Amino acid sequence: MRVVPVARRMLFTDRRRALLGVAGVSVALVMALTLDGIFAGTTRQVSRYIDTSPADVFVSQEGVRTIHMAISVIPIAATDQIRGLPGVAWAEPILFSSDALRVPAGRRPSYVIGYPPDGRGGPPSLIEGSQPGTGEIVIDDSAADALDIALGDEVQVLGRTWRVSGFTTGMTSIVNTTVYVTFEDLAVVLGSASSASYILIGTEGDPDTVASNIEAVIPGVETQTRPQFSAEERTVVKDMSTDLLNIMSLTALLVGLAVIGLVLYATVLSRLRDIGVMKALGLGGLGVFRLVLTQALWTVVTALALAVAVTFGIGAVVAAVAPDIDVVVEPISLFRAGTGAFLVAAIGVIFPLIKVWQVDPATVFRRTS
Amino acid sequence: MSTTALAARQLDKTFGEGATKVHAVRNVDLEVEAGEVVLIMGPSGSGKTTLLSMLGAMLRPTSGEIVVDGNDLAAFPESRLPKLRATTFGFVFQDFNLLGALTAQENVEFALNLTGVSGKEARGRAQDLLTRLGLVERLSFRPDQLSGGEKQRVAIARALANQPPLILADEPTANLDSKIGHDIARLLRTIATEENRAVVMVSHDSRLKEVADRILWLEDGAFRNLQNMETDPVCGMSVDPQVAPHLQIGEEIIYFCSPACREEYATAESPGRHASPGMP
Repeated sequence: MRVVPVARRMLFTDRRRALLGVAGVSVALVMALTLDGIFAGTTRQVSRYIDTSPADVFVSQEGVRTIHMAISVIPIAATDQIRGLPGVAWAEPILFSSDALRVPAGRRPSYVIGYPPDGRGGPPSLIEGSQPGTGEIVIDDSAADALDIALGDEVQVLGRTWRVSGFTTGMTSIVNTTVYVTFEDLAVVLGSASSASYILIGTEGDPDTVASNIEAVIPGVETQTRPQFSAEERTVVKDMSTDLLNIMSLTALLVGLAVIGLVLYATVLSRLRDIGVMKALGLGGLGVFRLVLTQALWTVVTALALAVAVTFGIGAVVAAVAPDIDVVVEPISLFRAGTGAFLVAAIGVIFPLIKVWQVDPATVFRRTS
Repeated sequence: MSTTALAARQLDKTFGEGATKVHAVRNVDLEVEAGEVVLIMGPSGSGKTTLLSMLGAMLRPTSGEIVVDGNDLAAFPESRLPKLRATTFGFVFQDFNLLGALTAQENVEFALNLTGVSGKEARGRAQDLLTRLGLVERLSFRPDQLSGGEKQRVAIARALANQPPLILADEPTANLDSKIGHDIARLLRTIATEENRAVVMVSHDSRLKEVADRILWLEDGAFRNLQNMETDPVCGMSVDPQVAPHLQIGEEIIYFCSPACREEYATAESPGRHASPGMP
């Protein structure tokens, strides 16, 4: 049955204070959600080379399960062995290293992929120019824009000068970019003529079966399907950033806690007389508790809804003005923000609750002027 | 046949301990019948508010008993007092004490919600009460949009919402102009008579005397016999000749509430007359 929504009325009667409170909590939640979104976007971008690869299975050195933060060395001869195995449609080696893409205008951390000419380990698409030939490099258009690089320009990577032969797209993140050279060139630079970093496999049939078969036949290698390899790649990036993310989330939580605590405390202080009146009229302890908790929940729910909307808005704006930054709001982020917000509300009501608990109903007999 | 709505016996209240001990109410006995209007008057600091707080179950007496509607308030468990207040008492305050965030109708509905009446029933009863009190045009107005008299009528509607046997009114006319104050006094009288509710008012306002069945004088925490009281000619307050400052002019002795009133009176008197100030 409908009862008078006293808590909501008390909270929202002073619209300016209510707005400031909701906005304050929202800012904290937007901070947490946006950081989470940028992080989620970045981890997706980090595995983009794997995700856009046509390979179904990736072969690496035994014990190596990622590209990032790992060195994998396998004999290049293994490629021919793999080609002969059942279920294998094609197999191509790639070399991997990391450095920075350097030009006079600046630098950008970069994955360096070496792949056979016209092979499947190269860029997912070319939007301008051509595949790299000897001494040539393909870079991402976003990095090229940021560093003011044009086709035919010279860039420095791994201590060598390369001429830009083409542009690909979608391979730059907030963290780094990816550049592509020929397998032979990178082999010379790395001094590894007889080895590869990874072998990309196209399969005919079940990739898991092919992967298991490769591990059984060829010693010293590790195989993963594309989804497995991609997940491992994202995990290693997440593991590296967990502490930072936790600190940021905790900061957002504390900001939210301070705001909601202050808002509720200020609301309660400004309405102590009303609370005294309500107690005098017969509002019991449970009613007082419900009153304060309802105000906290209203603040948090409104702030959460606003924060989600603002975060999606930020994502859209960022996508338009800074394509390198991907803001991805994942369901788990929403769940975390929601849980954090309700935790903040639960803690934030403690002091206001103590205050209202102490209000003596007999204060109604005191004069206000 | 009359029934007792409120019975207070040997009511005593002290605050503090030792040297700071204050005896706010002393051995007060009070019985109020249903339909009766009792006016308690007295100077500031006489214990009126303390007494009203105890009668309204907001303050426990140090000793004595208060029986309202068959319940001894002094022995009632603390956790059940809010519910008892909601069902047994109607409160009317000097400052109106309406909830500023709610409309007139919601203020009355809120009181009903506290006793478990909600939804359409609460809305209907609140509207009926406010309409009876001439506020049908003000149902959706907030307190800051109402005049003093309208606020007090909303407060009275709220006090009546749960049909309590006892209305406790603290200076109900103090913040109202003369005409509105008179109207509110008549309204409280009518409620007592027509609805057979007991009304206990605490006030300095002598206008309320005309609607009261009984007037009690509280001073230093105890009731005094009003028959033996004198009237201060300066401020009109009733004063106890046993303790009041006085002025003797010839054979006549005049009593005052305070030396200040006596001074004012003496200054205004003709200088040719011989006046002898004194204290009992």
